[in-house]
Amino acid sequence: MTEPALVFDGVSRWYGDTVALADVSFSLGPGVTGLLGHNGAGKSTALKLCAGFTTPSTGTVRVLGTDLARDPDAYQHIGIAHDRDALWQFLTARAMVALCARLRGVADPDAAAGRALDQVGLADVADRRLRGFSHGMRQRVKLAQALAHDPELLLLDEPLNGLDPAQRRHIVELIVRLGDEGRTVVVSSHVLHEVERMAPRVLVLVNGHLVASGATQAIRDLIADRPRSIRLRTDDGRGLGRELVGAGLVESVRFEDGAMLVEAGDVERLGRELPRLARDAGVRLRRVEPVDDDLESVYAYLHERARGVGR
Amino acid sequence: MIAGAPRISAPVYQLTLRSLFTGKRILALAALALVPVIASTVFASAGEIEPELFWARLLQRLVIPTITAFIAIVIGASAIADEREDGTILYLASTPLSRLTIIVTKIAAAWTATLALLVPAVLASAAIALGGEADTAQIAWPLAGIALAALCYCAVAAWLAMVVRRPVVIGVLYILLWEGSIATFAASADRFSIAAYGRAIAVEGVIDVNAPDASAPAAFVILAAVTALAAWAAARRMTRTELP
Repeated sequence: MTEPALVFDGVSRWYGDTVALADVSFSLGPGVTGLLGHNGAGKSTALKLCAGFTTPSTGTVRVLGTDLARDPDAYQHIGIAHDRDALWQFLTARAMVALCARLRGVADPDAAAGRALDQVGLADVADRRLRGFSHGMRQRVKLAQALAHDPELLLLDEPLNGLDPAQRRHIVELIVRLGDEGRTVVVSSHVLHEVERMAPRVLVLVNGHLVASGATQAIRDLIADRPRSIRLRTDDGRGLGRELVGAGLVESVRFEDGAMLVEAGDVERLGRELPRLARDAGVRLRRVEPVDDDLESVYAYLHERARGVGR
Repeated sequence: MIAGAPRISAPVYQLTLRSLFTGKRILALAALALVPVIASTVFASAGEIEPELFWARLLQRLVIPTITAFIAIVIGASAIADEREDGTILYLASTPLSRLTIIVTKIAAAWTATLALLVPAVLASAAIALGGEADTAQIAWPLAGIALAALCYCAVAAWLAMVVRRPVVIGVLYILLWEGSIATFAASADRFSIAAYGRAIAVEGVIDVNAPDASAPAAFVILAAVTALAAWAAARRMTRTELP
């Protein structure tokens, strides 16, 4: 049996006292995998380790069945679009992509560059100097140089950053296609719905810990089903609070700064029944707002949960 | 990977040369290379000392310890530091090229660019200072000393660019404090001076005004050894450090 394209085994990486990645293990085969986490969660460190740009403090990273530090020939089969906005400004897009292809052993680098630039939708500006390129165009040049040598493994760090909606759609389709062709594609992002559109599988990193991994839909459901805090502003909080607890819609009620904070296990049900309950109780709802719907609290929840089940 | 015979990658060599010759820095360095030409012109019109002595002093007190050192350090450091700063070094690092090949290629390109500025300036200075009386040794030995010292400076600057954030600043401080000052009056200190070995080679062809005791072959071996060591250390550092 062949080894999966990417294997992390007990990988930790720290910088001085800061832990960037803590005891992370996973293995990835063909298809698109999302690497999800907030800024500073360890996504870029994980991708740098995959790309051989740094070495683990402990544990082992194997890429295409080898250790890149010992076997740089494997780079012929790896395409990397890193997060730095780095291009050789004095070259044209075609020259830069062709140069990268040539260095990775492509027989006809000019033809390969033409194809790759066409794939990312830059064929018409291929012969312009990179100096004048917009952020979105630069992102796509980075992607083109990662594709030009037809790699088995693609490591894409936030590839949709700086793209407008039409370009995003185009690049998402391209990434999905690359996965369907049997390549192993790792795409990092801090936006869940973005990852959902291209990756059937996802790894979630929080503060350097791998807190969830599996089918994107399952993780989506996990996130949707988590207990949520809702802040309610009403003209008679105590009366409504009693009704909510009595109806079993909320698990706890707390008062804070003149507002009522409730914790709900099933937010959708609360949303459906709250207006009727308030009307029956003769309470006027002034404001209803979720307090932990941001991504940070989603990650915090996954982190807590991962610790709770004794990872 | 450091292991494996280093070679020069033609595409990376061309890319680096192109990058070094883009921008205003190269113009500033070219202006610096003109300083000995201007000095020779001033001397030729004044003509107060023997041309041979002037030529020997110009080489040993200005061209080798200051002009060559400065140009080679700035170009050698930039060849790597620019790519580290921009992050473009990651494109080179994610290829089958060994890290030693990348470093050796960068040093070769930096050396080429340095010599492209220095050689015409030295030849023009010689023509002006010595007039028609120059013999081959008066020009060939100094050129050999300049070329080897420049190579060594480029390699050391490349290593500096892998270990510190501001390699040009550190390199220029080294030139000013050590090469330009301490090593010129403390006799034993010039054993640790690249320029001193460059001068040791140059004085095979010109009057010795400020050269160490080392013979030209010894100077040659020492400069080559320091170059190789610096390239190896830079490549080793590139393997172990986090990029960019």
